[in-house]
Amino acid sequence: MNASYLRFAGRRLLQAVVVVLLAYVFTFVVISVLPGDPVTNTLRNPENGFTEEEIARIVAYYGLDQPVVVQLWQSLSHFVVGDLGVSLRSNLPVTRLVAEVVPSTLALAASALAVALVLAFAVAYGTQNLPRRYGQGVLRALPSLFLSVPAFVVGLLLIQVFAFQLGLFRVIEPDGAWATFFAAVALGIPVSAQVAEVLITGLDHESRQEYAAVARSRGLGQARLFAKHLLKPSSLPVVTVVALTVGELLGGALIIETIFGRTGVGSLVQRSVSTQDLPVLQAVVSLAAVVFVVVNLLADLVYPLLDPRVRLDRAPRKAAGQPGPEQPTPEQPILERQVSVP
Amino acid sequence: MTVTAAAPAGVAAAPASSALLRVEGLTVAYGRTHVVSDVSFTLGRGESLALIGESGSGKSTIARSLLRLLPDAGAAHGRVEFEGRDVLSLPERQFRPLRGRSLGFVPQDPGSSLNAVRTIGAQAQEAAALTGERDAGTRRRLILDTFAQVGLDDPGRVYDSYPHQLSGGMLQRVLIGLAVLPRPALLVADEPTSALDVTIQKRILDLLSELRADLGISLLLITHDLAIAAERADSLVVLRDGVVQEAGPTAQVFAAPRSAYARELQADVPALNPDRYRALRETRAGSAGDPGSAEATEAAPRIELRGVTKAFTVEGRRLTALDDVSFAVRHGTTHALVGESGSGKTTAVRLLLGLDQADDGEILVAGEPVHGRSAAGLRAVRRHLQLVYQNPFTSLDPTWRVERLVREPLDRFGIGDRAERTVRVREALAAVGLAEELLARRPGALSGGQRQRVAIARALVLRPDVLVLDEPTSALDVTVQADLVEVLVRLQAELGLTYVFVSHDLALVRQLADTVTVLHRGRVVEGGEVEKIFATPAAPYTRRLLDSIPHPSGG
Repeated sequence: MNASYLRFAGRRLLQAVVVVLLAYVFTFVVISVLPGDPVTNTLRNPENGFTEEEIARIVAYYGLDQPVVVQLWQSLSHFVVGDLGVSLRSNLPVTRLVAEVVPSTLALAASALAVALVLAFAVAYGTQNLPRRYGQGVLRALPSLFLSVPAFVVGLLLIQVFAFQLGLFRVIEPDGAWATFFAAVALGIPVSAQVAEVLITGLDHESRQEYAAVARSRGLGQARLFAKHLLKPSSLPVVTVVALTVGELLGGALIIETIFGRTGVGSLVQRSVSTQDLPVLQAVVSLAAVVFVVVNLLADLVYPLLDPRVRLDRAPRKAAGQPGPEQPTPEQPILERQVSVP
Repeated sequence: MTVTAAAPAGVAAAPASSALLRVEGLTVAYGRTHVVSDVSFTLGRGESLALIGESGSGKSTIARSLLRLLPDAGAAHGRVEFEGRDVLSLPERQFRPLRGRSLGFVPQDPGSSLNAVRTIGAQAQEAAALTGERDAGTRRRLILDTFAQVGLDDPGRVYDSYPHQLSGGMLQRVLIGLAVLPRPALLVADEPTSALDVTIQKRILDLLSELRADLGISLLLITHDLAIAAERADSLVVLRDGVVQEAGPTAQVFAAPRSAYARELQADVPALNPDRYRALRETRAGSAGDPGSAEATEAAPRIELRGVTKAFTVEGRRLTALDDVSFAVRHGTTHALVGESGSGKTTAVRLLLGLDQADDGEILVAGEPVHGRSAAGLRAVRRHLQLVYQNPFTSLDPTWRVERLVREPLDRFGIGDRAERTVRVREALAAVGLAEELLARRPGALSGGQRQRVAIARALVLRPDVLVLDEPTSALDVTVQADLVEVLVRLQAELGLTYVFVSHDLALVRQLADTVTVLHRGRVVEGGEVEKIFATPAAPYTRRLLDSIPHPSGG
């Protein structure tokens, strides 16, 4: 599979780059058609007392007098080489502003994902391996419970118990591993519910398959059956779900950051929106697009490694049933469904 | 009822306790539904016993009870003694060591019985581990030896393959290999060949017989095919609705079945009754034999293929699916296309129906050429030519009622007004012997045989004169199959239909067809009158196919 896998990976990577660029253009267009523009709002604000001449100079400096298409082209060509422009509010490079807050948010999101996965796999393991009398029913009810409690409620509860009563971490200017851990727990619990749900469904489905019975007849115990046979095929939908919940993780991270008093992308976005700091907004939205694309790229790349049946060639073969003479396909019906063709 | 299978002469003196497997009063229930009731039988060391029955007879449930592989909802009661220990009451901890080591299992459907996301080798290692061999290299060698022993050509490649890269026959060999590798005392084979081609079926059964002889493994064979059971088993247990109908040594049950059901089964197996439909078919021949029509049939065959060639490009390789295939079908007769998977049968049918376009050659239906190109031409062809599909469980839309299923072709072709369509739907239903009450049912509420009759009614409603039957009975039980064949023969006699009958079941072909074309890898190996070819096959491939029809020794 190696050569074809590399070709496949290369193709996906190329697609990912194209998607990121399109997302950037899309954001740019959306922001430029939004009502209200920063020039009018800040420069023409009588309190600031700029003269028309000064305003013209500033507008020219930022290239805002150019047509939108030219602006887009300039902005895009800078973006491609990693230059995100200068913040309108603080005059600092956007790259620096973003770099200050991104690590904290990424750490939170990544820890939350880790918490979610560990929790989900633990619950799923329990549903398959614990004897029925040890509360399998309770474990199966957990995902819906997790899903029905919003992250901010869990967050407040955790703060109440672990910050205020036990004093494990501070909520004002939080630092240290505990602060990140509990924020990640609050954020990860609803995500874990979705992962656990598909995982349990997958495991239940797989354990009913004929190959599972045959493997049991080969003397495998439940634990080995779970680890060696059931887990891998059941993890396939998990990959998809994780890729889809990344958006939720990022969105949730902004809320959780506020509750836990953390400085992160959330506070940056809040400030930029209220001051119409367009270059920063553009950068943050593009960054989100990059994260999405990267995660989906990873999911695409992992899938064939988990399931050898995934076809890597560009065009899936036309019409499934074309049995050539030496193909080891079983006899198949001529059409899947009976359709009388006029 | 207990079968004490006749022990081989040499062991006759051994005490009764030498029985390897003794099943007494086995009852299996799902909730209040009993699927197996009070079944008893005994299997001695080195012997073979066949459990025979149709779908729903409980035969697979019995196998799974012995192996303790029943789903959680199933509850087994009674006594299953294996090597003197009661399997049903053993704690899991004590039963698990028996799995694989003493009790081997060969499942029914090789395609779904191996984990698709793990290599064959990784799964084979699990079986090899049961031998107690600690060294992975030695285990690997053991596995490769076993693969060679079960007739897999390139054991190394098989070891590294994933299941989807191998054919059904190869996978079944792998599964048999994995089951016998730890040298179990008993092999439970649940329909080990029903998903396979006939010649492969024969080879797999031969393999099981050999392994039984070489390794002294006892065999519990679960099958719906009386002919196979008669050929391969020392004794039989015939089941219906979970109740034993008849049991005893094969020769005895076979020569003189006492129960009505066993007699019916025996009568319905094509391999055992080559002349079953002869009388019916002769009435047809008589009606078609008046001078006028005989002349007409001489003049123009209903269907003719002349030098038809078709190739596909698969993964960059060009594969010839049909190579210079010619045959002709006379009006009112049945022509069989015979061959194994990949022989080109399906391609030939697709071309005939205009679903694909031949690369070369000519296809004539009633003297008119079939082209896949023009929609109008195809419409005309399909008025004459209708297809009945292989699997009635998947070919009917489960959300439609019978009435709509049968009426749909009339709607599509815009034939008649509403009243006339209703009349024709009822006619078609009556022709296939279905009661009008079924009109309001959905496929889910019909049996397999009824579904296939609906499919035939659907084809008949357009009053075509040719029916293409693609393995029309292979998804059905023997007795249901026999009913359906009877319907087909009767319809042919009444309506003067011409059949193109695609099948891998040579015994059925012998019962049903007038002429036959044997296909192998896209080429015509042999063709002509069925009786002549079955009596004196010229090609080695035809002989091999014919040899694969089970020949019960007990008869």
